[in-house]
Amino acid sequence: MTGKQLLAVDTLTKHFPVRRGLIFPREIGSVRAVDGISLTLQKGETLAVVGESGCGKSTLGRLLLRLIEPTSGSVRFDGIDVLSLDRETLRKLRRRMQMIFQDPFASLHPRLSVRRILSEPIELHLGLSPKDTERRVNELLSVVGLAPYHADRYPHEFSGGQRQRIGIARALSTRPELIVCDEPVSALDVSIQAHVINLLVDLRQQFGLSYIFIAHDLAVVRHIADRIAVMYLGEIVEIGDKYAVTASPRHPYTRALLSAVPRAEAGRERRTIAQGDVPSPLNPPSGCRFHPRCPYAEARCRAETPQARTLEDGRQVACHRQDEIPPWPAAGGAGIDPVVRRRLQVLATAAKAKPAAA
Amino acid sequence: MTSTDIESSTPLPRPVGLLRRLASDSTVLIAGGILVTIVAASLLAPFIAPYDPYETGYAPFIPPAFMEGGTSEFLLGTDQQGRDLLSRLLYGTQATLLTGLLGVFFGGGAGVVLGILAAYFKKFDPPIMRFVDVLLSFPAILFGLAIAAVIGPGIVPIIIALSIATVPDVARVTRSTAVVVMSQEYMEAGRAIGLSDRHLIIRYLGLNCIGSVFVFLTLRFGQVILIGAALSFLGLGARPPMAELGMMAAQGRDALFFAPHISTIPSLAIFMIVLCANMLGDALRDALDPRMRNM
Repeated sequence: MTGKQLLAVDTLTKHFPVRRGLIFPREIGSVRAVDGISLTLQKGETLAVVGESGCGKSTLGRLLLRLIEPTSGSVRFDGIDVLSLDRETLRKLRRRMQMIFQDPFASLHPRLSVRRILSEPIELHLGLSPKDTERRVNELLSVVGLAPYHADRYPHEFSGGQRQRIGIARALSTRPELIVCDEPVSALDVSIQAHVINLLVDLRQQFGLSYIFIAHDLAVVRHIADRIAVMYLGEIVEIGDKYAVTASPRHPYTRALLSAVPRAEAGRERRTIAQGDVPSPLNPPSGCRFHPRCPYAEARCRAETPQARTLEDGRQVACHRQDEIPPWPAAGGAGIDPVVRRRLQVLATAAKAKPAAA
Repeated sequence: MTSTDIESSTPLPRPVGLLRRLASDSTVLIAGGILVTIVAASLLAPFIAPYDPYETGYAPFIPPAFMEGGTSEFLLGTDQQGRDLLSRLLYGTQATLLTGLLGVFFGGGAGVVLGILAAYFKKFDPPIMRFVDVLLSFPAILFGLAIAAVIGPGIVPIIIALSIATVPDVARVTRSTAVVVMSQEYMEAGRAIGLSDRHLIIRYLGLNCIGSVFVFLTLRFGQVILIGAALSFLGLGARPPMAELGMMAAQGRDALFFAPHISTIPSLAIFMIVLCANMLGDALRDALDPRMRNM
């Protein structure tokens, strides 16, 4: 890491109001999708955001790019206060921060050719001549492993993996510094996932990109991320180096997530099991939001909201009992679940096979 | 084996073009053929009409040539004032098609704009849609009456009334289509690129709504013609000497029992136009259905 800060987020909050009433709607509450999140991202770094569905991770990604307006908090991108910008300046800033979307079947305008999809952002931000724009489109296509002759086709003529490559090319087209990847591979076949993930890893090196990588697949996250932030009901419960977080998780929720990875062998007991369902973010539990599902919860957890504490290895954990709960047993081998390890091997093999690919 | 090889090894079937799909539908060919003939005949009225539609000097109540007592001089006979019915029919179709078309054009245009704005700017959604609801609660006939009362009967108040009657339905259909399009990720992707609202509304939202809205407008065209004919029938539309199908049907009403052709022929013309427009609209809707793409 170069150590230069690219993104600084402070107590970012988004509450979606919930209204009832046909004629005179009144607010009956709000969904706290993102509730006071602070994080930083260094240049060239990849921060993965993981959590169950509905925990607010996609909302967080959109808030960072100001695709939706936050309720409060601040986002500084390379020192610029993103939330205070007027519309025009914000549109210009979008050149430097882009997004890759989850669903490659919904994220491409169905009636534009790939050439139009890719030249729109180039024309908007880079001001190249038509000839240079065309050259750049061809260049982008070959960077993501497609060919120039693909440019005149329409999105429906491509497979899911190819479409996601087009989405990646679009995100790259403006030479951005930050890309928010919103579950970029979860809609793809497992066989295609590895290729797209490795493409993202290569592009990061090639163009010096920084990623906010939203995901729920821990194997993918371990492969691509430098740091991991674990989100639960709109809050970050644990954030730190990926090896530290996955090898010795301190927050009970992180442990539950790691235990939830499906296992091939029968009969092995799970280490931490989160009981019940995710509570409604409309009415989050008091104190620690995880306490109704936490096997270690005690009276204090119900009453007091835990503050994040920084550990000696630099990671931050928001749990009252982080020093009291039993140590995470080092699983057989390198402390990674065998299933996860196998997935990691697939990713690594695909990465080695890469030179043969375009 | 490269990554691209893996993915392109399953080529997607190329969808059949919209026009080809339409052309393979016999309904489209028949309905389209009839409609094209009617439109062409009405446009060519000044050249193919055998007589002046306003000239009254001929014998009245001559039945059509194919009926007893008819003469080949007047193919569709004459009306009670001795005007050639075929000539009046050609000119009348012209007027009827024009009012319907302009009604759909102005009303549909305004409706599309309102619907798209309501879907794109969520802030404007409630006021726009409440306004549309107000319009929706007025029957078109009532509008026609009111407008004719203010500026007098004629073709212009009819077009205004038809336009206003078209706005709310089109706005509702457009909005519901546009709301679905708005929730697609490519709209957000467009915003993430930094495209302007104008570009997003026209090239992203508009382009993806226009297909289904166009189908609705085609279906609506038939209804508008019917309402227009009804308004003319009630005497709110075209003024007497002018030829207009609805008004011609109304004028033949008194002679319905001894000279039924005066009223039935323009009515049949209205019927054919509306039927063909509806059939075309239905076929277009089926052809645009994405599930039909690869058939």
